[in-house]
Order: sequence, then structure tokens, then C-alpha cells
Amino acid sequence: MHEFMKTYDICRDARLVRPQITQRVSQDARAVRPYTLKLCLIFLCIVHCASCIAQRSLREVTVIGRRPMREIGVQKTRFDSLALKENVALSMADVLTYNSGIFVKSYGRATLSTVAFRGTSPSHTQVTWNGLNINSPMLGMTDFSTIPSYFVDNASLLHGSSSVGETGGGLGGLVRLGTAADAPDGFHGQYVQGIGSFSTFDEYLRLTFHNERWTSSTRVVYSSSPNDYKYTNHDKKVNIYDDNHNIVGQYHPTERNVSGAFKDFHALQEVYYDDQNGNRLGLNAWYINSNRELPILTTDYADTDFDNRQREQTLRTVLSWGHNRGRGWNTDIRGGYVYTALAYDYKRAVGGEGPMAVMTRSRSYVNTFFGRAEGNIYTRDRRWLFTANISAHQNLVRAHDKNIVTTDGNDAIVGYDKGRIDLSGAVSAKWQPNSRLGMSVVLRREMSGTKWAPIIPAFFIDGVISRKGNVMARASVSRNYRFPSLNDMYFMPGGNPDLKSESGFSYDAGISFDIGRSHVYALSGSVTWFDSYIDDWILWLPTTKGFFSPRNVKEVHAYGIETKAELSVQLRSDLLLDLNGSLSWTPSVNRGEPMTEADKSVGKQLPYVPRTSASLTGRLTWRTWSFLYKWAHYSRRFTMSSNESTLTGHLPPYYMSNIVLGKKIALRNVGLDFKLAVNNLFNEDYLSVLSRPMPGINFELFIGISI
Amino acid sequence: MLHRTLAFLFMVSALASCMKWDYVDPEEIQTDGHGLFIINEGNFQYGNASLCYYDPATKEVQTEIFLRANGFKLGDVAQSMTVRDGRGWIVVNNSHVIFAIDADNCRETGRIEGFTSPRYIHFVSDDKAYVSQIWDNRIAIVDPRRYEITGYIEVPDMAMASGSTEQMVQIGQYVYCNCFSYQNRIIKIDTATDRVVASLTVGIQPQSLVADAYGKLWTICNGGFEDSPYGYETPALYRIDPQTFSVEAKFEFALGDNPSELCTNGDGTRLFWLNDDLWQMAASAPRLPFTPLIESRGTIYYGLTVDPACGDIYIADAIDYQQPGKIYRYDSHARLLDEFYAGITPGAFAFK
Repeated sequence: MHEFMKTYDICRDARLVRPQITQRVSQDARAVRPYTLKLCLIFLCIVHCASCIAQRSLREVTVIGRRPMREIGVQKTRFDSLALKENVALSMADVLTYNSGIFVKSYGRATLSTVAFRGTSPSHTQVTWNGLNINSPMLGMTDFSTIPSYFVDNASLLHGSSSVGETGGGLGGLVRLGTAADAPDGFHGQYVQGIGSFSTFDEYLRLTFHNERWTSSTRVVYSSSPNDYKYTNHDKKVNIYDDNHNIVGQYHPTERNVSGAFKDFHALQEVYYDDQNGNRLGLNAWYINSNRELPILTTDYADTDFDNRQREQTLRTVLSWGHNRGRGWNTDIRGGYVYTALAYDYKRAVGGEGPMAVMTRSRSYVNTFFGRAEGNIYTRDRRWLFTANISAHQNLVRAHDKNIVTTDGNDAIVGYDKGRIDLSGAVSAKWQPNSRLGMSVVLRREMSGTKWAPIIPAFFIDGVISRKGNVMARASVSRNYRFPSLNDMYFMPGGNPDLKSESGFSYDAGISFDIGRSHVYALSGSVTWFDSYIDDWILWLPTTKGFFSPRNVKEVHAYGIETKAELSVQLRSDLLLDLNGSLSWTPSVNRGEPMTEADKSVGKQLPYVPRTSASLTGRLTWRTWSFLYKWAHYSRRFTMSSNESTLTGHLPPYYMSNIVLGKKIALRNVGLDFKLAVNNLFNEDYLSVLSRPMPGINFELFIGISI
Repeated sequence: MLHRTLAFLFMVSALASCMKWDYVDPEEIQTDGHGLFIINEGNFQYGNASLCYYDPATKEVQTEIFLRANGFKLGDVAQSMTVRDGRGWIVVNNSHVIFAIDADNCRETGRIEGFTSPRYIHFVSDDKAYVSQIWDNRIAIVDPRRYEITGYIEVPDMAMASGSTEQMVQIGQYVYCNCFSYQNRIIKIDTATDRVVASLTVGIQPQSLVADAYGKLWTICNGGFEDSPYGYETPALYRIDPQTFSVEAKFEFALGDNPSELCTNGDGTRLFWLNDDLWQMAASAPRLPFTPLIESRGTIYYGLTVDPACGDIYIADAIDYQQPGKIYRYDSHARLLDEFYAGITPGAFAFK
């Protein structure tokens, strides 16, 4: 019966729209009045040009005493550019895994990777490109394995309620991505090639131009690999037979990752014009051409030729205008168009010499038109900031999921063709009566199709507890709603147009500090407690007709503690150590009514959501050498909602270590950059998801040249 | 400072070597008595199908017995199981394999590979069996003794991509098979020639097929789903005369009902099916019953079988399809005798 799930599951798992990344200039930085507080922080960056290949060091910068008003009470994690630009083979899934407490559920190397933010489901994490929601309108989520981290210049997490100021629907939070117009004056170029295990090749080229008014950036990434890594298959045994076909022995075979090849091409063109009078125009265009096979399971005994492949072409264009008029107000208006074509084909040889028979031929086309306007205005005394933003996404989806022959012998297509407009608007008032205290209220309203969600309110407060140590406390509370995705409502068969929005209520509170001593060390950290309730959680469940259908079934209580810490130590004048760690304890518990009297899932942790996740990166920089150690941990994940400790009821804790050794060489006009990355350092034989083998130790060498 | 830092990093790295992809050492499994195998589909694409065994005499249930007996997993979406001459044949749909096990200890005795997407196995003789498939317009012919596919029966007027053959029932020389997904036919196969010799149009999506005590075939059609390009109609139960291969009677449900899992008692005099509740009627009844035999417990029942020996009824509740489903055992008078948990998505049964 469950074979009918294939259409849906393939769509859920494989047909993910690739997000795009663009740039929006933060207006806050310009709007903040700086105060010097005699405190040292670290300014860490790598600029990819020859002139900037210099020894990294602890640097003294001015500290902003008055916090950005836009971020009053906001729980935010900003990713270091070093993490984003570590090596060209990395995706945002890798960055999130090793640099945050977010759980990344990976189905394999270069395969679907979704996230659980604060113990929620992938669709509860909104992903924006400077305000443009890039979650797939069909699936409501993002595959982070398809976002090259080299295409991201700014990345941050807005935890829970903190996402409401940007967008609705982020019951877990928001992953905010962006590119920046930063480029050194004149023409510059950078080329990186990576050559790695499993015949993996990564190419990256960036060309930039910058003068007083114009900035242009062209980036291209191409990654390919047969991805046929070996692994010992613990889920399967090969039989040894005698002449009478009796089994006389069995062993676990060493197999290859079959059907895991990928060829991903990305090109991002950005052009910015600054009229030096407060106006800034931007054009971003990102083209994606991806061709990925879908790996078979460890439990697959298919021995015939087959082709299981997903192809995607996406073009995202954004035109933006930003205006910053003095210190009082600023505005940003942008519009764009996104086109995505997804194809999934499953073909098998059925004997003979002829072409393979088509088992599944699925196509979907998504056209999205969007617009967004935002304005911020400060009062004369700059104690108040009023903001407003409104966005519209018109999504047009045509999904052809299955070809059938009707009872009268004609060909027909099972699928849907729907359009939906999503509107979201918010106003906020932010108040800083003095330099120690800030408060903010956000009211957001959203519409999807013809349905309005109730008003989404959020309240934020923060305050400086102690200037010594820069100790700050933050708290927030909000309501939130997430509309069902188009597949949730219209997928054929099973879509449920009567679904209610998922609703959430969450609050958090935390404390942070920043301390340091000039040229010696800098240390910062934070602890945040959060508590959230999500009602009408949507789950796809089988029906008696053999296919899945979504229903509002669960109530979930997600709560826990998130901690972060950063330490930089200038060990010697030419030796710098950076440590960046996170630890999250995120129980996510089903608090709904039992589905039946037999239901044992109430009060239990959600499946595939770890209670604990942790990450640590340690970077040692000595002159032009660098050594990076990355470590990630996820606690045991249950595979059943009832948290059974049976043999297949859980996945053991996950510990992963990677290292990268780097060397920069600065020549007269050229900079060379060498890196050797070792992934899965301890050659662990492991799974992240049931039946999805992960690669053992593997290597990649990167050679970069910058002019 | 440097030394302390490096020591710290080394200490952290030591944490990294604790992860395991578990091996399971085989253990001795005994399936005593004349019990019931429960085939748990698991979750599609997660490879967590499992096999349980329930002994009605002792009311003991053993779980994950295939994995425990063999040291490797059953696979992805276990669809059905047939027990014949002390061997159990488990069709694992999305693993594209059929495992044969010793029904007394669950140790594998062989496997048949090479299927597109197998659903059910039907034994024609000791050396020939048919395997129905989905996403394929062919029924595979296998030799159970040699564990190999020996040929195919092509189904006329059926496309590969929407192909679907399902349950098989043999009456005399002929095997009848319902064509389910986006189909509306019962086909008739001559076991002497291994060819489809006739087909009969019934309602949309005949989900299951049984034979009664009077030599009649019964199929239950679920009517498709709303807005389906294949059509959407009132579900119905059909009685078919295999001799004339024609519909003798049609019993309609209400539009939107979801009848499924048609089965009979041991002597074939009574029919049972799920339609939210559990329903039964005599195979000779002139109309559908007005009241169910067992009312639903507020869930969607997923599996049903009737003990051919004593008439006990087993109903599977898959609950949320992410936890071990629960099996309810009733006697033929709908009195609850026992209840126990099996594996994820218990969808099929086989009596030892």
C-alpha cells in the first residue's frame, strides 16, 4: 500500500527549491549613534584578494554602546565570515551543523538536508534572502545542502520570536541569508579549485569591480562528483550458498553509494549603484542548474539498471532600491521574479536491449513574483524607531506528479495547478528611553490565498545589567502562525484544502556578556531559555486509500536552553586561537491528545529531533598558516514517536570531526591559498537518518588564487 | 597557554569516536505454536520494516524477529507474507526483494531479487509462483526452489508507469488478480500458459480480492479520490462469478467511504472488511449490513485478518504510523480477547 506514498515522499524529500541569496544593506548601522566603551572586540574577516592575505590578529575596535534599535530584545546568532568562506565545497547545511545548535537532518552527502530549529519541523524554519522568503512554496521548506556557502556573505539566525520582525511563520525561527556589495576598489578576481575523494571537483570563480558608484560581483560555482563512496552495509547481508542453494554463510557487504552523483552549477551576478546621495540600486540574478541522482537505501536489493534523478533549474532575480535620507528615515523597496523547474525521473531496465521503462515522471514549475517595501523612521531624539514592512509573494505552481491512463484509454496527469498570493505586513515601535533599556512591539498580519491569520503580536525587551562585562538581558514573547504549503493543500492525491494554520506561542529570555583585554583575549557568551507551544501541527498520515494526506494533529511543546560562547586568545604576537561553541538542549514534546487510546507518543520527544546538539570550532592561526578543527554532536534521535528503544527505534548519538589545514602565500600581485580538508576524521561508520549511509574519512584539497 | 590550549583541543577530539552504526548479532528465535506473523511496513524510505510473531495460545508477542534472527534488516516497506510448507515468503516492496524464512526460527533460507516493486506472492505449485507488482505492467513468474525470476506475464492495456497488479486468488486452473492503483480491472491468468486470458472491468481501484465458500470472487473497490483524473465514484463491493467472469452483484457504499482489507473467515462463508469500523456479512447476504461488527476506536484501522482455524479477528491500528501499531484480537462474536503492540504500520498478517 505504501508504494503509493512514493509520489508524495519523493516530492517531500527530493523536490526542494534552492534558495537564493542577495544583499540588503542594513540601515541600522547607519542609524546608530556610536559610543566608545573602552572595550576590545575581535574583528575577524577574510577578504579574498591578494592584498588582504595578511596575518589575522586580535584587533581593537570601537564598541557600539547604544545597541541597534532594530534588534532590541532579539535573540540572534550571526555566522562568522570565516565559517561561511571556509572552503568552496561547503553548503549552508555544513555551516549550520558546525556553527550552531540547529539540528541538520542530512540524508547523505550532497543530499537533502533539512533543519530542526528549536525542536520544530523543517517547515517551521523560515529562510529569507534579505526579506524574501525562499522556502519552497510547494513544500514550505528549504534544502540547505543546495546553498553553496561561498554564495553567502551574511548569515544569521533569528531564534523563535525574534523572527516576527522579519517574517511570519517562523515558529522555530528564521535563517537570514544575504550577499554584500563589499568589494575592494578596482578589478579583482579569485579562483578556487577543489579536488577531493570520490572524484569530487569543486570550482569557484569570483570577479569583482568596484568604484565610487558602481559595484559588480560575478560568482560561479560548479561541483560534481560520482559520490560513490564505499561503506560497510550493516543493514544487509550477502549470502554464501552451497550447490543446493543452502545458505552456508553470510556477511555484511562493502558497498558503494549507488546513484549518488551530482552536478551542481550556480551563477550569481550582482550589480549595485550608489549615487552618493543616499540612493542605492541593486540587481541580483542567481541561476541554478542542478542534476542530482537520488541514492538508494541500504536496504535496497535492486540489481537492475535504473536511473533515479532529480533536475532543477532556477532563476531568481531581484531589483532593489534603498534610500537613506540623513539620520531620520530610510526605506527599501524591492521586487523580483523567481522561476523554478523541477524534474524527477525514475527509470528501470525491464529486460532486453531497449530503453529503460519510465516508472515515474514528475514535473513541477513554480513562478513567483514578489515585492517588498520597508521603511524606518526615527524620532528627533532617536529614542523611538518606527518601522513598517509589507511583502507580497504571488506563487503559481503547476505540478505534474504522475502520468496515468484513464478508463477510456486517454493519457492523463495527476497533479495540480494552483496560484496563491501570500501577503505579510508588520509595523513596529521600538523605544530606548535610555542607553540601558529598550522595548519593542511588533504587530504582523498575514494573508494566504483568501485566508487571514490573526494578528501576530510580539514584544521584546532588553537591558544592560552591567556595563562592566557588557552584561545584557533580553526577553521576548510572541504569537505566530504558519500557513500550510501548497502541497499540503493541493497535492494530488491527498492535499487537504481544509487544513488550519499551525499556530504557536513562544517566549524566551536570555543573558549575554562580552569581555576582553586589548591584544590578549576576547570572550563573549550567552544563555537563552525558550518555551514555545505549537498547535495544529501538520502531519502527513496514510489514508485507507493508500496515499498520504496532511492533518492538523499534534500539539507540541518545545522548550530548552541555548548557549553560545566565543573566545579569541592572542597566544603570541603571531598566534591566534579562536574557539566558537554552541550547546542546545531542546526537548520537543508531543503534548496533544492521544490519537487513539493506543497512542504512546504523548509526552514523548518528537522523532528525529535530538534533545541535545552541540558544535565547536577551534581555529589556530599562526602567521600564514591556519588549522581548523570542527566538531558537531547530536544526541540520540528516536525514530518512533513513542520513543521506543528497540533496535530500529533510535539512532545512536552523533559525533563528527573535521579538520582543515590552510596556508596562504602572498606574492607581489597574486595571493595563493592552499587548504586541505579532512572530513569524518575518525572514519566513523555511521548514519544520520535510517538507511542513509554517510561517507567515511574523505579528503579535499583546495587551491585558490586571488588577484 | 599554548600547551593548555592544544591539550584542550585534543581532549575535545577524543569525544569524537563514540558513534556507532549498530551491528545486530543474530540470536535464536523460536516461533512456537500455530501463531500469527505480523508484517509491519515501517516508514517508506526509512528501511524500518519489521516482523513480529504472536502466539494466540500464550498471548506472547515477539518483535523485530527477522532482524534478531538474521542480523540484518527486513528492509523498506514489507508488504505481505505467505506461509507455505513451513516457509514464510516476505515481500519487501521498496527493497525489491522477497525473503524466504524458516517459519519456525525466522532464519533466512533464500531470497529472490530483481523485482520492480513486488506486492504479493501466490504459489501456483512447488516450483512456480506469481509475484504481483506496482509501477510495472508485468507479473513476475518465479521459481521458489531456485529463488529466481523465470519469466513475466504481461498485462494487456496497462502502461508501465501506472501499472499495478495486486492480490491473487486461484480457482482451479486460473489465477485472478485485482489491478489496483489507477486501475479498474480483475484479470484472469491461465496458469498453464502463464498468460492473461481475460479481464473484467469493475469499479475504480479494486483494493482487495478474495474467494468465498461458494466459489465466487469478491472485490472491494474504493472508488478513487475526489478530483482524480481517473475518476471518483461510489465505492462498492462486487461479487464475481469466475465461471462466466462477470459481475453478479454490486453492493454500493456511500460516496466518500473508504472500504478496504476485504477478507473471509476460514470456510469462506463470511466476508469482513474495514470501512472506518469493522464490518462483516454472510457471503450469501443480499445486502450490506446496517451496523458494524466492531466499531472504530476513533482511528483508521490499517490491517485486518481472520484466523481460518478459530475465526478470531485481528485488527491493526497504525496509530500515527510513527510508533508500533497496536493489534486487537477479537473472537468471532466481537469480544476483545487480547491486545498488543507490533511494529510500525502493521499492514499484513500471515498465519503460520
